[in-house]
Amino acid sequence: MSTTPMKIALFQCRWCLYSPEDQAWVDNDLPKNIHLVKVPCTGRIDPLFILNAVQGGADGVMVSGCLPEKCHFKEGNLAARRQLAEFSQFLDYIGYAQDRVRFVWLDLQDRGRIQQELAAFERTLETLGQAQALATRAPIAMGGAHD
Amino acid sequence: MNNTTFAEEVKALPGGESLEMCYSCGTCTSQCMVQLKQEPEYNPRRLLRLVMMEMRAEAYTNPTTWLCSACDLCYPACPQQIHISSVITAVKQIASQNGIKTPLATSVVNQQTCVACGLCVEVCPYDAISLQVIKVPYRGAVPVAVVESSLCMACGLCGAACRSNSIGIPEEYSDLDVIEDIWSWLRPEGASL
Amino acid sequence: MVDAARQPLIEVKTYTEVEKVEGFVGNFKVTLREKSKYVRADRCNGCGDCAKVCPVEIPNYFEMNLAPRKAIYIPMSQSVPLIYTVDLDACIHCYKCVEACGALQAIDFSMQDKIVEEDIGAIVVATGFSHFDPTPMEEYGYNRYPNVITAIEMERLNNSAGPTSGRLIRPSDGKVPQKLAFINCVGSRDKRFNPGCSNFCCMYSIKNAVLLKQMNPNVDISIYYIDIRTPSKGYEEFYDRARSMGIHFIQGRPAMITEDPQTHNLFIQSEDIALGRVVEHEYDMVMLNQAAIPQPDQEKMSSVLNVARSPGGWYMEYHPKLRPLDSPTDGIFFAGACQGPKDIPASVAQGSAAASRASRVLHSDSWQIEPTVAVVWSDRCVSAQGKPCGICERSCPYGAIDYQQGRAAEVITAKCHGCGGCVAECPHDAITQLHYTDAQILAQIRTLLAEEPHKKILAFRCHWCSYGGADLAGTSHFEYTSNERGLKVMCSARMDTDFIYEAYRLGAGAVLYSGCHPQDCHYITGQVVGAKRAKRLETIFERMKMTPGRFRVEWISAAEGDKYAHVLNEMQATLDAMPEEELLAEIDRLRPEMEKRLGRLGTIPGVGPALDYTQGIIEAMLSKEVAVK
Repeated sequence: MSTTPMKIALFQCRWCLYSPEDQAWVDNDLPKNIHLVKVPCTGRIDPLFILNAVQGGADGVMVSGCLPEKCHFKEGNLAARRQLAEFSQFLDYIGYAQDRVRFVWLDLQDRGRIQQELAAFERTLETLGQAQALATRAPIAMGGAHD
Repeated sequence: MNNTTFAEEVKALPGGESLEMCYSCGTCTSQCMVQLKQEPEYNPRRLLRLVMMEMRAEAYTNPTTWLCSACDLCYPACPQQIHISSVITAVKQIASQNGIKTPLATSVVNQQTCVACGLCVEVCPYDAISLQVIKVPYRGAVPVAVVESSLCMACGLCGAACRSNSIGIPEEYSDLDVIEDIWSWLRPEGASL
Repeated sequence: MVDAARQPLIEVKTYTEVEKVEGFVGNFKVTLREKSKYVRADRCNGCGDCAKVCPVEIPNYFEMNLAPRKAIYIPMSQSVPLIYTVDLDACIHCYKCVEACGALQAIDFSMQDKIVEEDIGAIVVATGFSHFDPTPMEEYGYNRYPNVITAIEMERLNNSAGPTSGRLIRPSDGKVPQKLAFINCVGSRDKRFNPGCSNFCCMYSIKNAVLLKQMNPNVDISIYYIDIRTPSKGYEEFYDRARSMGIHFIQGRPAMITEDPQTHNLFIQSEDIALGRVVEHEYDMVMLNQAAIPQPDQEKMSSVLNVARSPGGWYMEYHPKLRPLDSPTDGIFFAGACQGPKDIPASVAQGSAAASRASRVLHSDSWQIEPTVAVVWSDRCVSAQGKPCGICERSCPYGAIDYQQGRAAEVITAKCHGCGGCVAECPHDAITQLHYTDAQILAQIRTLLAEEPHKKILAFRCHWCSYGGADLAGTSHFEYTSNERGLKVMCSARMDTDFIYEAYRLGAGAVLYSGCHPQDCHYITGQVVGAKRAKRLETIFERMKMTPGRFRVEWISAAEGDKYAHVLNEMQATLDAMPEEELLAEIDRLRPEMEKRLGRLGTIPGVGPALDYTQGIIEAMLSKEVAVK
């Protein structure tokens, strides 16, 4: 088992953490191996972001969003699920195990759940080991409107 | 229009009918994530009050009018079963008709690269995007996506869906910022674009 | 209760169900099921030795399931009568109790339920209320967070005879809470559950807070409320006292409770309306002051007693202001919260008042009823000729008609309240209503439409609602068309189709069919009978291609004078919009239709002479040009 902590990219929607303590923990006290990317909605997560994290060498990607009926933007989380479920299958196909990409729906009333989920995810990743197969040297960006 | 009160105007729009049922219990405000995470001045209860008390100017510029994303967390909690987001949408509609612009940084289309595939139209939860044939410099009259800024809530779904990166919210969360952020964490020693 | 049981003239029957109530005021026959306790009342001395040896322990519903009880038990320490009961659902038939009872031989497993029939003069219903279970309100986490309890659980925890001997402790860890929150209006004033106000929760939450504060002045108590309602004498002063003791009152209804999974402490996020911002506070324990709701079997009991229920499900009184204790059925009275949520002083007052109302019945040799009762002409009733019918019986809200095929239907006069539904419904015109006979009403219609009938709007009003509405329109000076001609009957159920046809046959411009809103009907379901008929008439007139608006059905309460005026002005506008010759042509076109439907009118006893008499008056009036102003 590897001793280096697993690198986790945590994509968190701005709205799903109700309790101020949880939000403060995520904002300020995340362990060094976890990197927070705050997005306005999980639906905003372009597969490109995930691909960049994967190719940059992250061992796992976690997406935390609102419960299906409680999405801040009506149905953004459903759009995200459609898009990312397919994309993680593709990643699995090219050698990035599907278990390394995890979706978490957080209910407003679940205090402290995010910490438990991250700890559980870290344990899963430790059994899988580090993922280096897809690492590249440079970021991948797509030409377009605002690049 | 001359003799109708603000409340009557709001009640005439769909979902606004039960406006006057509000007895100011504050459930909606304490449930609201916008209030908690974005704008402490945000207060649906008070907006309903402003409408009932005929305070148009204040209602038009109130952040509540513009920041409600219609997530409807408050609706199932409201003991008077007022569809609060519909009331707020009604106020927003009246404000827009009176020429007030949304303070949000809304989605922008790059008309040069848009191919009018319609994916953004499909994912937009607010039906704010439509495909229209307009005159675009260097391209002539072609169909492109057009964002109705009074409806856009800046969720960014269109940006994630767009296959040609032609639409998105430029000011916050641009694709490039996010990618740079991820790389500076993973490869602090330097990997640049 | 103990006092009542000792009083020689009062017989207390507990564990007994009312199965059937027949008869009428002063002469009820009540069938009771005395449930078997499996303990003989004449032998049990209440010593409790049986319960000590019983090996079964199940949750005690009286203690809100916070404490156990045995399979042989008394519900509470002050039970009246003090006789044990075996819960056969829980009993394992080990018969240890029989052994412990010994020589008394009070426990008898062969006992059966006993059905008894009693002659009763008057009935007072005092079945109380039940409480709303807040489990469906997920946002408050009741049954999910151990330290969220209901007010009634709090009452038990705070009671010196309760499961904790009066020590208020947290269910999660048994510690004494130092910071408490009470949430008012849980399930009441809430359109998702119970729209009404539960009346007494504000006061008992203040009472509980004061009690706890007296026991331990250091405890921190906050009460979350929408409005504090302290409407009776001394209540506001009590509220003042609570505030001066340092109890926090926070105006704002919490949207959600969250829990710290480790400490089981609770967080309430609510808007503090006085501060104008959202605040979050942490509490050791939260109490939900849940709504008062009708008893679960109130619906069943209302059909046993034949009394109506108000929209919220509570028993409906005869008149909300003038006869708040009486049920619509004579001889049955209400006391306490079964009629609507009320606190102890109000319940006691109503109980005493209901007892004295009931004693009026018991001390009378005769009983006055409304004189407008229905009477059957037995020679016209088809049932007497052996034909099946029973329409009158089905239309009676009071079960006052005794119908058996083969003999003429009979009205039990003491039960009849005089709505007139059966009279109008009878397809053979075999029933009449005293003081509102067909002849009298037809004579009125003729007189009202004697002159220029096509310009008139004939308004049928029910005595209790729309007549009151018309009255209010007058006293409030709401102007409405002077072409209206009003006619009063007791209930919309009395508005016979014949009356409407006759009005149109005579050439009435328009007819209004008005009565109470369904929930307000004075005669339980009289309005339903009337409304059904009105619907039928609407369809008939539609098929006749009558101009829409010439026949109108409206439910107008006595408080809706403005509506009455508004409706009539609208009807006048409909008439004004029609050219006169067109209206007259339509009246002429429809007259044969109306006549066809009125074929039997002349055969109704009394109608012929009454109409002849009326005709004389009308002619005299018209020829002499008597000032009708």
